[in-house]
Amino acid sequence: MERIKESFLVSPIFVFFLIHSMQVGVGMLGFQRIIAKSAGYDSWISVILAGVAVHIIVWIIYKILDYSGGDVVDVHKEIFGKWIGGLLSLLFILYLMALAVTVLRSYIEVIQVWMFPEFNSWVFGFFTIVLAYYIILGGFRTVTGISFFSIVLPLYILLLVFFPLDYGHVRNLLPIMNHSVTEIARGTKDMSLSIMGFEALLLFYPFIKNPPKSQKWAHLGVLATTSLYLIASVTATMYFSADQIDKIIWATLTMFKSINMPFVERFEYVGIASWFLVILPNICIALWGAGRGIKKVFSVQQRKSLLWILPIVLVASSLIKSRQQIDMLSGYMANFGLYYIFAYIPILFIITLVVRKMREKK
Amino acid sequence: MANWFKKEDKKPRLTEEIYQTFRKSEDFICQFNKQAIRPYWICYQRNIIDTKTINEQILPYLLYAKVYSIRDLKAIIPNKEIVISKNPREIEDKILQGSIMIQFHKSDGYCALVDAVKFEKRSVNSPEVEFSVTGPKEAFVESLDTNLNLIRKRLPVPELRVKELTVGKLSKTKVAVVYIEDIVEKENVQTVLQRISDIDFDQISDSSYISQMIVDNTNSPFPQMLETERPDRVASVLVEGKVVVLSEGSPQAIITPTTLVEFFSSFEDYFLNWYIASFVRLLRLFSVIFSILITPIYVAVLTYHHELIPRDLLATLVISRREVPLPPILEALFLEIVIELLREAGARLPAKVGQTIGIVGGIVIGTASVEAGLTSNVLLIMVALAALASFTTPVYTMGNTIRIIRFPFLIFSQLWGLIGIVLCFCFLLAHLIRLTSLGRPFLEPIYPLRVGDLKDAFIRLPYSQLAKRPGYLRPEDKKRFNQKKAETKKDIDE
Repeated sequence: MERIKESFLVSPIFVFFLIHSMQVGVGMLGFQRIIAKSAGYDSWISVILAGVAVHIIVWIIYKILDYSGGDVVDVHKEIFGKWIGGLLSLLFILYLMALAVTVLRSYIEVIQVWMFPEFNSWVFGFFTIVLAYYIILGGFRTVTGISFFSIVLPLYILLLVFFPLDYGHVRNLLPIMNHSVTEIARGTKDMSLSIMGFEALLLFYPFIKNPPKSQKWAHLGVLATTSLYLIASVTATMYFSADQIDKIIWATLTMFKSINMPFVERFEYVGIASWFLVILPNICIALWGAGRGIKKVFSVQQRKSLLWILPIVLVASSLIKSRQQIDMLSGYMANFGLYYIFAYIPILFIITLVVRKMREKK
Repeated sequence: MANWFKKEDKKPRLTEEIYQTFRKSEDFICQFNKQAIRPYWICYQRNIIDTKTINEQILPYLLYAKVYSIRDLKAIIPNKEIVISKNPREIEDKILQGSIMIQFHKSDGYCALVDAVKFEKRSVNSPEVEFSVTGPKEAFVESLDTNLNLIRKRLPVPELRVKELTVGKLSKTKVAVVYIEDIVEKENVQTVLQRISDIDFDQISDSSYISQMIVDNTNSPFPQMLETERPDRVASVLVEGKVVVLSEGSPQAIITPTTLVEFFSSFEDYFLNWYIASFVRLLRLFSVIFSILITPIYVAVLTYHHELIPRDLLATLVISRREVPLPPILEALFLEIVIELLREAGARLPAKVGQTIGIVGGIVIGTASVEAGLTSNVLLIMVALAALASFTTPVYTMGNTIRIIRFPFLIFSQLWGLIGIVLCFCFLLAHLIRLTSLGRPFLEPIYPLRVGDLKDAFIRLPYSQLAKRPGYLRPEDKKRFNQKKAETKKDIDE
């Protein structure tokens, strides 16, 4: 296993920021409707369940990687050999690229709907991609730095949760468990698009100083994400009526509207602008991971592989035009992510266990 | 006296070419004196020599003392550094550095080189760039020896080390790297020495040349090394474990490695009570953010986001802009450029004419441009405040940076309003994260987060809390004093 130089590694504590910033993205702005469709006012239970599921997967990922010490590309190679393993790694790389496309395109959609209807997604996408390129060129430490600031700087938004709570009704939360278990489980399933992203850990694991120690930070990161989604979900449940909550597309943004300060009205503009900082690490970590993966699978320079990946992401995100296409893309991504995270990773875990046992016996 | 200028017939036994080269400039003097007990040649570069030294300390001995060989001069001439050499290169260098060459008529090629250098220098003055109300009032001057003297005076310890290097093919500038052994991390010193000796340039006019040539990223608008003219500041950063570079002919010392927050701390912060110092630091930080962002926000809000402003405030803005025919971006660019012009003109003009600038700027451009309908009152106030705020940056080089990074923000705010501002901010952030100073992260202690170093960053805690030296310097001796001992408190009424 090739060792990464000490000067490129990040402290275990930053795994918290990496995981947390990767999970929180555009989904936060409007996930409430998606889960409320099936779970209604009980959707906050779905959020907690989804959080628990993610904790288990994070534990599994650490189990897989602690043993090999490398990243998922190494594991694939070790278990499935060069060709099938490479193919599986390539699938993961494509998935990360698609994730970046989804995030970028959804954010541009938010801008188009809320701020500038005539917004040129090509030009904005171009600048974002250039920014991502500049960040990734700085190495993994810079990517980590961006994810650190993307959490620290927009923290002020958390204080603003009190504004919508002013208009909220606590009684909306009652009675608890009004929905059947299957409905809540379906809500949990629908959370997948919002919570995914943490599986990038599969690739940046070797960049952590003393990786086994970072596991607690990873779990704390997931915990922070879950609590954040829980706050957003509970606030939305209290703020919106039962008829509204499964119809309003961007519930969080709509709640921003209730914020009223002596010098700023229509806070959602500030919120959307700040959100760029929140989605930036999603794009950067995903594309960093894709470039890193290609470097390892095809042994080309990451610098060069990025020059292919970034234009593809730009073109793909700009070609998606209508609301239906975006919905379709995020639907596919949600499904694929769901199966990848909750089916493929556990299966991979079992296979690695079996293969390693057999090899030890030999 | 007549035989004093017979250069042609009897040449001193310098290497022929050296002599030929020197003779081409007319300030090179070469004299032969027969009347002395022992006839001798004396050559020197007239204008860098102290004539008093020749007359009082050299000539009397040469004329009347009994010297037999050139080596006797060493014993005879008192209080002077004398080198005996026959190496033409060394002789040439020494003459150019202000030595007098003495050679006896019948000689074997050896000459004595007596140091009699006299360089013009000004006396130590009070600091002008980094002025402070309280605290020491001395600043570096152009003489390296004086500057080192000012530092040594403040740190009379043998661990204070000075390494001297010569840089510049033509200027042969002496550069001194100063640090405290046992505190500084050796790697930092090595890096600085290595980078300075790698400099390949013909002439070094100022230490800022060096700092521009040895920084980590030359394409950054941000200064990555702190320049200071205060010996007290230099002494205090040396104690923290930093490396200081001084150069001959420059009244500025370079401090490295450094961090972004250090550029917003004035050294006066350390002379004041810690509450006041912290307040002033936070004020400065706020003013920098304000200064960069206020005009872009004005442009963004007036161009795209009228809804953002409460109705009452909007009325004020609309009224003030009623007469203005220009779009906000042109209005803002116009005023920003006017301010930059005023500032540049003020910096270039002699002090006495400079007052005119105040009148031109304040009355003519300010009031008249509003009355003429070129700008609005509100923007004028904002731009003026932004300029005022940017002057609070204690380090001049950083002030310049803040002047220019406002313009990309303005352009992006015109492009996409608030989103443009955030995008531009992200570029700035990414740049700052990537930036290093001597390989140490520039944004420390924020990223990478080091809580221990935060106590002297945005705020300055009392000295009793500053027991540890900054962690990013990785000092060999981590503690400034033993905090535990200082913290044992007595109980009430004991």
